[in-house]
Amino acid sequence: MMHLSLPEFADYLRQLGQGALITLELFLASFALAFLFGVLVGILTLSPNRLVQGLWRVYASIFMGVPSLLVIFLIFYGGSAMLAAVFGAAGAGIDISPFGAGVAALTIVYTAYIAELVRGAIGNLPKGQFEGARALAIPPLVMWLKVILPQALRLALPGLVNVWSFMLKETPLVSLAGLQDLVASAKVAAGATKEPFVFFIATALFFIVFSAITLKLADRLEIRLERGLRRTPQRRDAGVRA
Amino acid sequence: MTAVPDPGIAVSVTGLVKRYGDHAALCGVDLEVRRGEKIVICGPSGSGKSTFIRCLNALERHDAGRIVVNGIELTGDEGTVQDVRQEVGMVFQHFNLFPHLTALENCMLAPRLNRGLGKAQAQALAMKHLERVHLADHAGKYPSRLSGGQQQRVAIARALCMEPRILLFDEPTSALDPEMVKEVLAVMEELAASGVTMLCVTHEMGFARRVADRCVFMDRGAIVESGEAARFFDAPASERLRGFLAQILH
Amino acid sequence: MNALPVDLALAWDSLPALLRGLQVTVLITALPLVFGLALAFPLCFARMSPRRWLALPAELFVVFFRGAPVLILLYLVYYGFGQIKALREGPLWVLFGSAFGCAILAFSLNHAAYMVEVLRGSLNAVPHGIVEASEALGISRRNVFIWVKMPLAIRYGLKAYQNEVVSFTKGTAIVSVVTITDLTAVANSIFEQTYDPFTPILCAAALYWAFVNVLRIGFDLWGRWLDRHNAVPPQEQAQQRAAVAASAGEIPVPAPRRRSGFRRPVL
Repeated sequence: MMHLSLPEFADYLRQLGQGALITLELFLASFALAFLFGVLVGILTLSPNRLVQGLWRVYASIFMGVPSLLVIFLIFYGGSAMLAAVFGAAGAGIDISPFGAGVAALTIVYTAYIAELVRGAIGNLPKGQFEGARALAIPPLVMWLKVILPQALRLALPGLVNVWSFMLKETPLVSLAGLQDLVASAKVAAGATKEPFVFFIATALFFIVFSAITLKLADRLEIRLERGLRRTPQRRDAGVRA
Repeated sequence: MTAVPDPGIAVSVTGLVKRYGDHAALCGVDLEVRRGEKIVICGPSGSGKSTFIRCLNALERHDAGRIVVNGIELTGDEGTVQDVRQEVGMVFQHFNLFPHLTALENCMLAPRLNRGLGKAQAQALAMKHLERVHLADHAGKYPSRLSGGQQQRVAIARALCMEPRILLFDEPTSALDPEMVKEVLAVMEELAASGVTMLCVTHEMGFARRVADRCVFMDRGAIVESGEAARFFDAPASERLRGFLAQILH
Repeated sequence: MNALPVDLALAWDSLPALLRGLQVTVLITALPLVFGLALAFPLCFARMSPRRWLALPAELFVVFFRGAPVLILLYLVYYGFGQIKALREGPLWVLFGSAFGCAILAFSLNHAAYMVEVLRGSLNAVPHGIVEASEALGISRRNVFIWVKMPLAIRYGLKAYQNEVVSFTKGTAIVSVVTITDLTAVANSIFEQTYDPFTPILCAAALYWAFVNVLRIGFDLWGRWLDRHNAVPPQEQAQQRAAVAASAGEIPVPAPRRRSGFRRPVL
């Protein structure tokens, strides 16, 4: 049924492998940045300041209400112009690559989701945690890093895991801006060899397997973090996720 | 073994066994309940008393022995299970009202679905039984707006709407605040006077003395002792019942 | 360049085309929502069945169509099934013969897989005691499902359903890759004609935003109607909903605003 020679097939496989690497790089870079900014924004927006709250609401509403694909296009097509507007002549020369546009867009979008999770998790911590730390005269930075954040992230972990797997499934969108990622390579290979099933199903399985492996790791991480800390009865039901 | 069912017998249980894995929750229970009889079942937690009455309407499927309810033997067959449930009402410890329906709708649901009653008929029936539990004024309220005692009375009315010949109570007052126990027991006593057959798992000893024709003490999955209320409480024969009574009566 | 990145004249001129694109987007969203939901019920029953030979295929369906990015599913159906001659010319030509049919099929399969998990989580959230009480009343299993389990499951699962509908809607923006001129495709073609990188995309984004928020408001009203008399105690409900949303693998959406204090976590 395969009407292509073995060397040809190997060549396409190599391209797919390269595409997969690009997909993973894109995903991991975007997730790392979104996580970093998400935590920061999550903490900053706990401020009761009206301006901060207003800005946060507008930001969250826009990027949770608009397709990521449009954000990718906007940055890819309009990024240079935006940089030029901000940095003047120095920015005008910069060309935005599909990869850069993808990282920027996914970071901007998913920062909103992660910040929302972090806000919720911190809000759900017992007030006593803050009061206790203050009573012990622990400096604010230490309080946040050693007391609040570890607990908040433990609470946010199930949500972060969902964002992780959801974001992974959105990374192929960047191929529509011209990135030669896994999905783009699969499309080329499928078209050239007239074997769409082989290449598309293999690509789909790549995403499924990667997601399954990392979710297993997350479960382990969750169990570790939960050790001796059974304090939150309304956690997500174990084992419901597919 | 084609015994003609005796119409005077409401429930007949012989050699009832129920296992959960290796653990035997019931190991050979025999009990015969005459029509109209009021039975109170008590015993320490884990004695199998709840499991026992839950077997009577097949909420738990038994592993061995015979259960005959209203002349119908409970086998694995779905049809017989449905037939038995039509005539056996049950009241639970945690009320289990339908939270999305008003008290009235809670009572109307089963008659409408099982007996095909029209809306007006079902409503009249439901109101009749809500009046019986003194909650006609609260018919339009949702369970979340009722107190625990009121919810349990709605649950009783809901069971009554199927006009059952047998009523099972599974610790109906143990999830209630103390001040609400009385109103539920009062309703149960009124019911007892109406002649329906009742099997009631409860630790309310005052209720047992006033209402029960027979008290049954269960321990470790078997009936240890049974007898009429006065003798049961005042002159317990077995050591285990004496110990149990000493514990609950202080 | 002026201060506003949007060329208002161009925006005004583009509006009719963009609105036609929005119509296509609405259609390409609504049909899979219907078909996917219809497909999700039998799949969910199979998935929850104690019989392994029923549960396993349903589980594999969910793992595949939920785990694969929608873009790949779309390619798979369009370039895979859509190119098989026998399928195109057979009785299923409506589906496979057109890009539109392929897109609807791919989206429906994806949405169905998500909805199986939403439904399963919601049905599992219905307290066992309430189901038992219905059975004790002699109500048949079918009627228990229709009158007790489903009405409660809808209340517990509404949040998760809303999340899925919203993220699904946004996900349809990829449909232009199979030559369908939805909202995104219209914006793209205006960009290609004018080289204005902002106006068409920002206008399209505004229309998506409006569409998504109409959906969100619709869900809020539906939820409020279901809760009209606080039928399920609010605390229990919030917990159940959070559990269902988390178990269904949803990404969060902002919780409704509260007047004071911290918000409950969405997940």
